[in-house]
Amino acid sequence: MGVGGYLRRMMLARETGIFLALLLMCFVLSLTTDAFLTSQNLLNVGRQVSLLGIMAVGMTFVLISGEVDLSVGSTYALSGLTTGMLIVEQWALVPAITGGLAVGLAIGLVNGVLSTYGRIPSLIATLGMLSVVRGLALVITDGQPVTVNERQGALEGVLARFEFIGQGYLFGTIPMQLVFFIVVALIAWLVLSNTNFGFRIFAVGGNAKAARVSGMPVNAVKICAFIVMGLLAALAGILSMAFLPSGQAGRTGLGLELDVIAATIVGGASLSGGEGTILGTIFGVLIIGVLRNGLVLLGISPFFQELMIGLVIIVAVAIDKWTAGRRAR
Amino acid sequence: MRSTKLLATAAVTALLFQLPIGAAQAQDGVNVADFALADRIAEAVASGDQLNIYVSYHDVSNEFAPFIRRGVFRASEELAVNAVFMGPVGADADAQISEIETLMDTMDGLAISSVSTDALAPLINRVIEAGIPVVTYNTDNPESERLVFAGQDLVQSGREAGALMGSVLDENGVVIITTLDAAAQWSIDRETGAREALGAYPGIEIVQTVNTGTDPQEIYASIENAMLANPSVTGILSLECCSTPAAGEWVDRNGATDRVMVVGFDLLDQTVDLVSEGAIQATIDQAPERQGFEAVNLLVQFLNGETIADLDTGVGIYTIENIDEVIVE
Repeated sequence: MGVGGYLRRMMLARETGIFLALLLMCFVLSLTTDAFLTSQNLLNVGRQVSLLGIMAVGMTFVLISGEVDLSVGSTYALSGLTTGMLIVEQWALVPAITGGLAVGLAIGLVNGVLSTYGRIPSLIATLGMLSVVRGLALVITDGQPVTVNERQGALEGVLARFEFIGQGYLFGTIPMQLVFFIVVALIAWLVLSNTNFGFRIFAVGGNAKAARVSGMPVNAVKICAFIVMGLLAALAGILSMAFLPSGQAGRTGLGLELDVIAATIVGGASLSGGEGTILGTIFGVLIIGVLRNGLVLLGISPFFQELMIGLVIIVAVAIDKWTAGRRAR
Repeated sequence: MRSTKLLATAAVTALLFQLPIGAAQAQDGVNVADFALADRIAEAVASGDQLNIYVSYHDVSNEFAPFIRRGVFRASEELAVNAVFMGPVGADADAQISEIETLMDTMDGLAISSVSTDALAPLINRVIEAGIPVVTYNTDNPESERLVFAGQDLVQSGREAGALMGSVLDENGVVIITTLDAAAQWSIDRETGAREALGAYPGIEIVQTVNTGTDPQEIYASIENAMLANPSVTGILSLECCSTPAAGEWVDRNGATDRVMVVGFDLLDQTVDLVSEGAIQATIDQAPERQGFEAVNLLVQFLNGETIADLDTGVGIYTIENIDEVIVE
């Protein structure tokens, strides 16, 4: 294939439209505000989108498998709060983090079982779980904020390592949250594009009946997708707790599921299943992150910001759908 | 010393701007003799039956709810009534209305902090028409025919915060205002007061109101972006509990304690720590436990024939000078 062929293939790639939209936004922002194109701001954006990105990677698995998970915001809150409470109870770091991840894994498992063997549409099952998990978080914390510091009981050494996970910098430059996002995205990309499990997720989401007839364990594949989502929501929740380092069951992650789904859809995943890429999801997350960052840098009214974010989501998805039509031709 | 000066400023501001709350009723007071009390309630009071007092809070999952609930429980024990703390999870006006409607026939008195002034005023009036006394607490509903209000004058507390900021900046500087919800009535009231007080300092410029959203990560990111967009900022004035510690954390992590002053609200654990470390110069407490207690107490006094009037539960100003009082508690 010649250079022209590569260029044509690249222009028709699913992610190209969204990437161009992202470039256009960055270009406009770099012209209209001095602060945007600085290394400090770009690293800030990278850190600010990392937790959303980690969850959006999980959501990509779920959406490709033909399902949806509305409980991610609650899972994010409960897992982070669990780890925070365990550290305050003077647990060691690894067991405390494992506890938080186990919460995410369990929620993912329940979501998966309800949506497959339980025959409850995932939209409904996870909507119910959103409420159940949020309620659990409120019950275990009694609605009180959980703050992880020495005054609350955390051990000095444990606290220092926990804070490094959320607040630290790799090589003194790259925020740890961004490092986690990059690692998660790389692993997810490898899994989706190079493993049997990745192939099966696309097959199950594209046509569940055909996948079943061909002998694929459809329910098991979908449950695994939900577990991946639960684990990644838990990881993001734990990183958030390590960064702040405080959380409150009534507010933490409230409404986050909509941001996660929006970022994933903007990135090209389809609500009807069988479509989506990790690269597209990364671009979708960056579109939302850069937009939020840019609107604040421009000093746009907070009310107008909401309007702009909604419009950009609609336009980005519309561009993707139009270019999808061209790709199909 | 700056902190001593701060406390003195707070005292002077309170005297200068001392405004009546719910003016007419606050001065005159109301008595059950002038109220068309429902027969069943009058009989219950006459026969010495235990009274059912319902205390509806606008969001039982927020940080304040546990403190207000504690005050309600204390009132229940000390005043020998059945005081029930209730309300929606999340600021949901429909849910608050439904709950009150459901319990209307069993309540001998209602204390309410409204999710929305407009949405709840008709219901409050309906409850009063049914012969049930209604007082407001924490967040007033002046559009309704409520009897009296117990709580902090929000505009006044905003003025105090503004005056404190003026003082810590030595009357010169560039300020951003942060709030979880710029459109909420409590935020508008506090911002009005803060801008009014800061307007008295010609050397102070307010460059932006930052609507941070409610999720803790979102709050921190919003402040981070706003500070990058406005590098000349020397003061962050938070209008509520939750962007106060985030502002303090930003100042602390960026080594900006000498050049960026923070004034905020409430005594979350993280805020207390940051005040004691010097990253937050002053925080204003709302005495939520007392608000819960007084909400019940006013109704009990009213039903027992005492004249009641609006009650300002006051503000507590905490700086590095006196924050130890909270830590000891």
